[in-house]
Amino acid sequence: MMNTNKSKRGLGKVGMYALLLLFLVISIFPFYWMLVGSTNTSDKMFTSPPTLLPGSEFMTNLNNLDATVGIWRVLFNSLLVSGVYVVIALAVSATSAYAFAKYDFKGKNVIFTIFILSMMIPYQATLIPLFQMMSSYNLLNTYFALIAPQLCYPFAIFLMRQNFAAFPTELMESARLDGASELKIFMKIVLPSMKPALAATSIFLFMFQWNNFMWPLVAITSQDMYTFPVALSTLNGVSFTDYGQVMVGITIATIPIMIFFLVLQRHFISGMLGSAIK
Amino acid sequence: MKRASIIFALLLFALAACSGNDGSSEQNESGDNNTLSVWAWNINVPVIEKAAEMFAEDHPGFELNIVETGTPDVYQKITTGLQANGEGLPDVMLVEDDRLQGYLNSFPEAFVNLSEKGFADDHMDKFPEYKTELLSKDGDMYGFPFDSGPAGVFYRVDLFEEAGIDANAIETWDDFIEAGKVLRDELDVALTGIDINNDDGVYRLMLNQQGTFYFDEEGNVDLTSEESVKAMNVIQQLSEEGLNENLVGWDAWIGGLANGTVATAPSGAWLSGSLTGQAPDMEGQWGVFPLPAMEEGGNRAANLGGSNYMISSNSEKVDLAYEFMEFFSTSDEVQLYAMENGLFPSLNTIYTEDVFSEEVAYFNDQPIWTMFADLIEDVPYANYTGDYSLARDEATKAQSRAADGNDPAEALEEAAKQLENRLNK
Repeated sequence: MMNTNKSKRGLGKVGMYALLLLFLVISIFPFYWMLVGSTNTSDKMFTSPPTLLPGSEFMTNLNNLDATVGIWRVLFNSLLVSGVYVVIALAVSATSAYAFAKYDFKGKNVIFTIFILSMMIPYQATLIPLFQMMSSYNLLNTYFALIAPQLCYPFAIFLMRQNFAAFPTELMESARLDGASELKIFMKIVLPSMKPALAATSIFLFMFQWNNFMWPLVAITSQDMYTFPVALSTLNGVSFTDYGQVMVGITIATIPIMIFFLVLQRHFISGMLGSAIK
Repeated sequence: MKRASIIFALLLFALAACSGNDGSSEQNESGDNNTLSVWAWNINVPVIEKAAEMFAEDHPGFELNIVETGTPDVYQKITTGLQANGEGLPDVMLVEDDRLQGYLNSFPEAFVNLSEKGFADDHMDKFPEYKTELLSKDGDMYGFPFDSGPAGVFYRVDLFEEAGIDANAIETWDDFIEAGKVLRDELDVALTGIDINNDDGVYRLMLNQQGTFYFDEEGNVDLTSEESVKAMNVIQQLSEEGLNENLVGWDAWIGGLANGTVATAPSGAWLSGSLTGQAPDMEGQWGVFPLPAMEEGGNRAANLGGSNYMISSNSEKVDLAYEFMEFFSTSDEVQLYAMENGLFPSLNTIYTEDVFSEEVAYFNDQPIWTMFADLIEDVPYANYTGDYSLARDEATKAQSRAADGNDPAEALEEAAKQLENRLNK
């Protein structure tokens, strides 16, 4: 009896692992295919049976890609734009969300509702007015034009506000009684316990800016300002696309997101122990 | 407090750093008077670069500032620029055939009238008629004709041989379907790889060869014409007889051609570049025959794709741009170089050059360029109008309904009704 039970459980385990393995393959395969594509010539993507082993053309593809779009410049642009954007946008959303969550002022709810409603406006509707505005200030094709428009990101504010709302007001009040300034309360007491929320929000902001396509596409008018999504889109031709270059480009574009996520992942965990009323 | 002020200082610095970096702005307007900005995509770039080099020999200091863009994303850029009164547009831009009428209709003032500059009088007869008509509005020309997509049926020579089909004997679409049945029964290979729900290219080719289109010459919706029903019938038969493999999207289609899932591709001449680029190992396995006719002895010439250069009215260097583009589009040398890069030029003064009669090794030593050059003069004009994309959308829906077994005539009637509603006609 015991034995059959055990083997049954063993079988269940095997089945479980097989299932997990299947999911693992499904989620890893696109990355593997990216690797295969980036190390083979373009025509290998279309052979039958499919090419499944990495080749030795990575450097050739990389050099071609660099010749076409100047990939290191693109990487620099993307890192700069996304990096600066995350820092400023995070500051904007953290401070405004804090105000929405912890202060009472006239029209607070109305303003917040307007913020949330603005999430409903499709991006396309603001594209042309924004373009004309930037154009009339002679700001098209600048880093400023890429970073500034979405610095105030309603969803990020919403996300941070929900987290601030959960912070015990009693802690702030006792700090006030001890004579701490409002800024000090925010910086020293509230923010340190918000690391997980800050990390989540900044991943969100980073992803948004890193993948941002439509606005940079129209706002950039010279090749040396291209960010990744725009640069990769230029590899699409009407009748010919070099998939080797595309795959190398995607590989390089994926790595920073992975690093960014891995670095911030630590804060998710460390931050969880931070807030509590004792 | 101290930490806070440091953070704020850092933020301010970051903001200042990014607003201080606008040295590269105004790329379009500024620069010296001898530089033109151009938007073009991949295989076109080396061609226009080469042309600039040649042009600079007689115009010292002439330079191009080429921004390499991708299709179809470049149209988002162009449309935005046009809606903002031409702001941010380059001096010269490349526009495909099917987009051009839409732009001309919606933004008639945005492009330089080339007839006023004398282009039509000097060079009109050097280009096929369908092309010059396409580039004209109210009798004036607005675009420099560049490449064309004279159509043919690309087919697998080896598979046809194996199945015992004589490609030269295929003269009508009925013959084509019969050949497909043989391929299906003998080799279990699909005849075509039409993306039924997304791409009506083959149907459009059949409209074009019969001298009709989505719209008639007055611009009225013409989806229900006799010719259109015939064309849709062919698509339905391909689908119902199991001759079509529904390959979704460009990548799947090219993949299907490269790995032997489908044996033919009715398409524009530019497909030769896609094949030699994506499937270089298939040398000798491909050939081309002219598009089958709808009836025996009917017209076998049609066009799919092609592009043209246009000058923005906003350009401050219209004269230089005109001079350069006139050189570009009428120089035999430039257009022959375009040939080498896989683009089929519209300029007919080069069709007698040796390259055209050359046998192409990839295409089983067939002189495919003569074939295309001979066909191009007979390509009927297609009235794209400004509403092409809506019409295409409805026609594609009709195609998927027909492929699902609905009566083609009814599917097209429904599409015509829908289209008229959308156009409020």
